[in-house]
Amino acid sequence: MKRGGDQAAEPRRLIPALPFSSRTNTSSAFRLTAIWEAFRVATASLRANKLRTSLTLMGIVVGVTAVIAVVTIIKGLDKTVAQTFSSQGSTVFTISKNPQIIKSREEFVKFNKRKDVTHDDADAIARLCSACWRVGIAANAIETVKYADQKAENVRIRGVSPTTMFDIDGVTIDTGRIWTENEGESGQDICVIGTDMLKNLFNDASADRAMGQEIRIAGRPYRVVGVLEPLGSIFGFSRDNVVYIPYSTYQKAYGARRSLVVFIQVPAPEQLEVAEDQVRTVMHNRRGRTADDPDDEGFSLETQDVFLNLYGSATSNIYIVTIGVAAVSLVVGGIVVMNIMLVSVTERTKEIGIRKAIGARRKDILTQFLIEAVTVTAVGGAIGVATGFGLAYVISALIGFPLLISIASAVLGVGVSSIVGIVSGLWPAWRAAKLDPIEALRAE
Amino acid sequence: MSDVTLVESPVENVINPKTELNGHDPSKLISMRNIWKTYQMGTESVHALHGVSFDIPRGEYIAIIGPSGSGKSTLMNLIGCLDTPSQGEYWLNGKNVSEMDDDELARIRNQEVGFVFQTFNLLARATALHNVELPLIYGGVSSSQRHEMAKKALESVDLSERMMHKPNELSGGQRQRVAIARALVNHPSILLADEPTGALDTHTSMEIMDLFERLHSEGNTIIVVTHEADIAGRAHRVISIRDGQIEKDQRIR
Repeated sequence: MKRGGDQAAEPRRLIPALPFSSRTNTSSAFRLTAIWEAFRVATASLRANKLRTSLTLMGIVVGVTAVIAVVTIIKGLDKTVAQTFSSQGSTVFTISKNPQIIKSREEFVKFNKRKDVTHDDADAIARLCSACWRVGIAANAIETVKYADQKAENVRIRGVSPTTMFDIDGVTIDTGRIWTENEGESGQDICVIGTDMLKNLFNDASADRAMGQEIRIAGRPYRVVGVLEPLGSIFGFSRDNVVYIPYSTYQKAYGARRSLVVFIQVPAPEQLEVAEDQVRTVMHNRRGRTADDPDDEGFSLETQDVFLNLYGSATSNIYIVTIGVAAVSLVVGGIVVMNIMLVSVTERTKEIGIRKAIGARRKDILTQFLIEAVTVTAVGGAIGVATGFGLAYVISALIGFPLLISIASAVLGVGVSSIVGIVSGLWPAWRAAKLDPIEALRAE
Repeated sequence: MSDVTLVESPVENVINPKTELNGHDPSKLISMRNIWKTYQMGTESVHALHGVSFDIPRGEYIAIIGPSGSGKSTLMNLIGCLDTPSQGEYWLNGKNVSEMDDDELARIRNQEVGFVFQTFNLLARATALHNVELPLIYGGVSSSQRHEMAKKALESVDLSERMMHKPNELSGGQRQRVAIARALVNHPSILLADEPTGALDTHTSMEIMDLFERLHSEGNTIIVVTHEADIAGRAHRVISIRDGQIEKDQRIR
């Protein structure tokens, strides 16, 4: 026996033993090391199964893409809407026979029983409402406009009076002039055109080129006296596809027996309530209630809030639907992740056995598989954020509204999908963690 | 190698299984007293081990032999702290292992036991270096130290040229040497090898056994579980297991 009696002495070691202090078993450095190892293993195993990984990602990607795209688009629209309506702002309200939004056939029948709103009503309001600043009337028609062999379709023909309606509408003259009140009241065939007319009728020529030219609306000739500054578009609809004509001229072309809309502007939003009360009183005194419907006021008083409310309820519905779609997709994605993780745990039973044999504790294995699940879903979330922004970018470019990339929604997208990963990875990871090392080593 | 004569051991190795340990005897690296392992098979209790007792001092080179079904694998799992006995006391390097829970056992396996398996059990997707680093990762050794230690361990089994190779790029003998490096890297108290040459050809088997011999001469305690007589013959002491009991405990060198 060559080693003799020195066996009980400290054996010579292959490698000098580490001093105990250099082992950092319980420190946070150890947790970081273990987490880093888990992350390495996770990414390696995800790379090794590319097809499976990408299929697993799909559910998460779809859900996050939907949310990010919708949130981004709606944020962009919100900004557009806010800018658009602030040009007229909350200082304008209208009196009309019918409200701008009719919700049912019954309403339509009811509103049609009302008396028409007339020029006289507008005059009375202008005379009697002391809180009102500007009062005007307007009526709209949609027509095809022609110049030589060019034509523009679906143009909004807006008959207005007096010329202060330009101010109420928030439009300004770029070239030329507005008609004079005399020209307007005498019903001359003159017009002020939006910039789309330059593009569609005058081959994008300069505004000067259009001055004095005669365009034809529904067969009637109108002389161009001014061109408006461009306003841009909203929801893909151009706000410059418009021709303003004097209201008297409008009556000649489209008949006098039409209800019109009275526009009233106050100097500041604070006066809105007072002005509305005064206008209501004027209208009530002039016409009383609708004959056979004492509950009805007999006219509709509306502010831009009507649009904003409609827009708000529409977008909130879109939000709800999208969140529903996303929730379903994330739940399905989570189930897929759980399924794949269970497969992964079964496939890697041997590996788990090896790791346990050389000293991995339950929480090491648990962490490893949890991190693997979270890595899949977080990557899915990140891809979803990217494709969501991409989709929103394409749509915003097509429709024409600003793209607002929100860091918060990106963080939320990745965060929520990571939580899905934790939730769906927990059970498979726990199964892996409590595997018996002997059994696990026996697996093939 | 086949004509090893097994000499009956001196009396020193025979332990009365009824002897209770009064605390741990520090001169013994391993002390097992009256170890039972019982499995419940339906309504029947099967005793894989009944009443096994032995001591292993530091620096010894031991073979555990026995036919399949003898309880030798069960004993190996107990020695390697993969399992705990149903009854009895097991002290490893001054620690009472028989009463430890899962995580404490994992800790002991990490610090005190170096496993070498028949089928190597390397992680297929990891390089040799990473495989060897693995016990250090679970042992909480910092990354720079880990690299250094793993490299040294691979050098000590003559694999410094193959550190960045994955297992499928290595021969069987090389894989087993990676596994041995992994077993040694954490400076365990025991190197526990389960049929370490079972998947290797004769020539490579001899190389691996030579390596064990060298590691033993360098002071490591080595326990080889095998059913091959010539592998067992390389050890200095042989414990034969049959029917869950120690049949023979012999010193052969």
